[in-house]
Amino acid sequence: MTPTAALSPDGETVKKDGSSAIGAGRPGFLWAAPAAVFFGLFALVPLVMVAVLSFASWDGLSDPEFAGLDNWRKLLDDPVMIKSLWLSVLLTVLGVAVQTPLSILLGVWAAGHQRNRGVLSAIYFVPMLLSVAAVSVLWRAVLDPNMGVPAQATWLFGDGNLFGKQATAIGVLVFVSTWQFTPLHTLIYQGAARAVPQVLYQAAQIDGAGTVRQFFHITLPQLRNAIITSMILMVVGGLTTFDTVLILTQGGPGSDTTISAYYMYQKAFKSFDYGGASAIALLLVLVSTVISLIVVRLSGYDKMRSTMEGL
Amino acid sequence: MKQRARFSRTVVVGGAALALVLSLSGCGGDSDAAGGDTLRVLVYGDAANKVEKEIVATFNKTSKVKAVLDTIPGADYQAKLQTIINSKQAPDVFFNWGGGSIKPFVDAGLLLPLDPFIAEAPDLKAKFLPSVFNSAVVDGTSYGVPMRGTQPVLLFSNGKVLERAGVEPPKTWDDLLAAVKALKADGVTPIALGGGDRWPTLMWFEYLYDRIAGPELFQKALDGDRDAWASPDSRKALSKIRELVDAGAFGTNYDSVKFTDQGSPTLLATGRAGFELMGSWEYSTQQDAHPEFAKSDLGYSAFPSVEDGKGDRANVVGNTNNFYSVLKKTKHPRAAAEFLKLMYSDRFVKAQLAIGNLPTTTNTEGFLDTAASPEFAKFQYDMVKAAPAFQLSWDQAYPQSAATAMYQSLQQFFNGSMDEDAFIKAMQALPTS
Amino acid sequence: MRKSRPNCFAGFGSLVWLLVVGLPLYVMLVATFQTRPDYAANGPLSFPEHFTLDNYIDDLNSGFAQYFLNTVIVTVCVVGIVLLLVPPLAYTIVRSRGRATTTVFRLFLLGLAIPSQAVIVPMFFVISEAGLYDNLIGVILPTAAFAMPVCALILTGVMRDITPDLYEAMTMDGASPRRVFFQLVLPLSRSGISTIVVFSALQAWNGFLFPLVLTQSAETKVITLGLYDFQTEHGVNTPGLLAAVVLSMLPILIVYLFARRALVQGLMGVGGK
Repeated sequence: MTPTAALSPDGETVKKDGSSAIGAGRPGFLWAAPAAVFFGLFALVPLVMVAVLSFASWDGLSDPEFAGLDNWRKLLDDPVMIKSLWLSVLLTVLGVAVQTPLSILLGVWAAGHQRNRGVLSAIYFVPMLLSVAAVSVLWRAVLDPNMGVPAQATWLFGDGNLFGKQATAIGVLVFVSTWQFTPLHTLIYQGAARAVPQVLYQAAQIDGAGTVRQFFHITLPQLRNAIITSMILMVVGGLTTFDTVLILTQGGPGSDTTISAYYMYQKAFKSFDYGGASAIALLLVLVSTVISLIVVRLSGYDKMRSTMEGL
Repeated sequence: MKQRARFSRTVVVGGAALALVLSLSGCGGDSDAAGGDTLRVLVYGDAANKVEKEIVATFNKTSKVKAVLDTIPGADYQAKLQTIINSKQAPDVFFNWGGGSIKPFVDAGLLLPLDPFIAEAPDLKAKFLPSVFNSAVVDGTSYGVPMRGTQPVLLFSNGKVLERAGVEPPKTWDDLLAAVKALKADGVTPIALGGGDRWPTLMWFEYLYDRIAGPELFQKALDGDRDAWASPDSRKALSKIRELVDAGAFGTNYDSVKFTDQGSPTLLATGRAGFELMGSWEYSTQQDAHPEFAKSDLGYSAFPSVEDGKGDRANVVGNTNNFYSVLKKTKHPRAAAEFLKLMYSDRFVKAQLAIGNLPTTTNTEGFLDTAASPEFAKFQYDMVKAAPAFQLSWDQAYPQSAATAMYQSLQQFFNGSMDEDAFIKAMQALPTS
Repeated sequence: MRKSRPNCFAGFGSLVWLLVVGLPLYVMLVATFQTRPDYAANGPLSFPEHFTLDNYIDDLNSGFAQYFLNTVIVTVCVVGIVLLLVPPLAYTIVRSRGRATTTVFRLFLLGLAIPSQAVIVPMFFVISEAGLYDNLIGVILPTAAFAMPVCALILTGVMRDITPDLYEAMTMDGASPRRVFFQLVLPLSRSGISTIVVFSALQAWNGFLFPLVLTQSAETKVITLGLYDFQTEHGVNTPGLLAAVVLSMLPILIVYLFARRALVQGLMGVGGK
């Protein structure tokens, strides 16, 4: 890396805000090049390959063959695929619906500076210290129908057949994700709640507004940005859930928890239909791109401006 | 300010240097190991690996080319194998189930025909039971040598539990239904089933189809005759399965239990279930996890007969054997051949018998008394020898690409979320080769 | 004060959540100190009769020490790569006016939308062709690449908050971009840098799919895979399995105990400010 040789070629002398700037002193493209090349090699090149493979028929043993739209046509006719899309959406929506109110309440509550809240928050944070795989393994053990808690708490779990029925299997997946990720979202809201200017509350108190009113009229609106960020994280996370499904349900019973990301893995590494798997993969990318674009729009990340400007 | 800048710089530069050094050292190390004078042997990871380790050690004592054993835990074995077999990381010798499991590799020209070795050393073929050896012959060419034991599926039981409920191992389907009733009344799950794994569920389909329709129906279906699935025999088999499930034979939470994590074997061993239909490896699994139980209370019997069934009650379902196949691009074909010759050595046979496996070599009979449980070994040996037909597991017979859909339908029919017609339709839709 | 009533409600709610979070943690901890027969006989909710550390010792002897080391190597290298590549990138994005830079930034934004599962098939063949299959490098490189978009986003956000006057003052003095970077940008982006360290470290620590598909032997196994294999092979040895889970969280727990502020602040940074 030789940054000194990389003076910006297009030295603009006048900025919009009127202050003058000199071209010299701005970094050139070479500064970004290593990152760009690295990222291109390990993320964009494979992405292009996925796109190409989605039009090929390939089992990994012989050479790939061009198959036109075959994979795509098969996907549209595949009931499991259609079902998997619905399941992905369902799982994501349920995740957002459960986690958002929960983490807002916990976050706002934890934003207070009382001592007991600090201690409890520290405990609430613990699931965050475990990896997704570890959490899934933990819950699989805890929820085992014969060796786990259900065997000791039949009044709550009945026969403990949590992984054998669609409704309960989905319930387990949503619950485990909530257990794992609520600490992260709580933190986001906690940070945002602390940033709400105290003046607003003082003014409200003078007006005689109660805690509940304050929450709905001041806190929630002020958390808008945090809600957007947190929801985006949940949505992208929900759509790409993989470890949890693999370890907890393997997509079962039947194909009842086979969400798209897992179905893609099955197609690729169980059925060795790399072409079909790539088509699903591309679909996943398209869906997340749309979501990403929405984020970018909402948050103004793409405009090169300081986040301070809003204040 | 200045000092902080220096701190940040140190972090950045240090991190970079570290990454670089690590990557260089890591890179260099591995490429050496991959080439060199090693024969990489890849096997299915489970309790039987003990013997494979021993055999590798025996081989390495005399061979200049050293064998290295790699294991991949069961659930992922087939997936990993097919991903790496055509890559640079392919092993030299690998474990498989013969027949359908190696056909795609043969078709892709990846496997080394073993016939030249057999021509040089006829024992490589002559020392094995022909029926077993032949299941790794594809299109007239030998591609595999048997390397573990034959694995018939048996009805295992917990003697204590049966005794308490006054139940005998069932000889007929009606016996089984009566036993289920008695065990249920006694408060235990009649039959342990690791439905979470799905393939244990498959065993019930395999045996019932065999007993009711004989082995021909499945063969027809496999050969592409989709009507076979809709035949009256097929429907009869399905209704028997329904009958058994609805009788509460498997309890209600079988789909949350697995065999691979030892859930269902534990149910059997701890007396919470009376029976388990499982491959002969149940024995080594129990010996490993519950040695006391394996020694004193683990019972076994053949699958019961079904009245008016067309299938012989001596027919067996399971894995005929596991095989070692050799990759065409191995650098050490000679060493591989030498390695394969150990698979009929006395030492190998004894070691397999000691862990409850039943090798299919011609010298096996002479060593049956040295088995971990001589009665168990003799029982299996007689059963396999006398069997008119040995049905290879459906998931091994069908191409890999059918497995996921097959498992899903089996599970859904079994737990009642799919009806007979839908199941038949799903089976008809499976790709055959 | 009118506050007492809602506090009661909040207090109750927080206790319920404490139970939800705490109960499984209790089951986990208690199980690991029990012998296997005790656990099987008494169930997960009961307290150990015979206290034992054997589960931990057995785990460490059966390869978990190695898995640990592998995970640490992966994590350190991923963080190293991210620290090396992302700050200059973010600096360029914020300060450069070239069109190429804008394009690069757009590509990184697109990268946000690529789930790692989506590229796993070609990734396997790229890594395999590069001779890096079953090698930790093969896990490190893609993991680092996939941590980059979010890190770039976080860091550009932070760097944009540096007021233009500061840049100007330095460039007036004739400082080169390199000097501006090391003496102004880096020191003022420390919060952002600690966030990307936390984020990329967590990505690496949590990594599952890349190791699952790109490695196979015990020598290259990372701890998440070790847990998965343990569960698929000996899942019923619950005390041993849960001891492994506890072991897997120890390093982060230690970080948490000693640098709680940094970790929490770092994570808050993931969600923006």
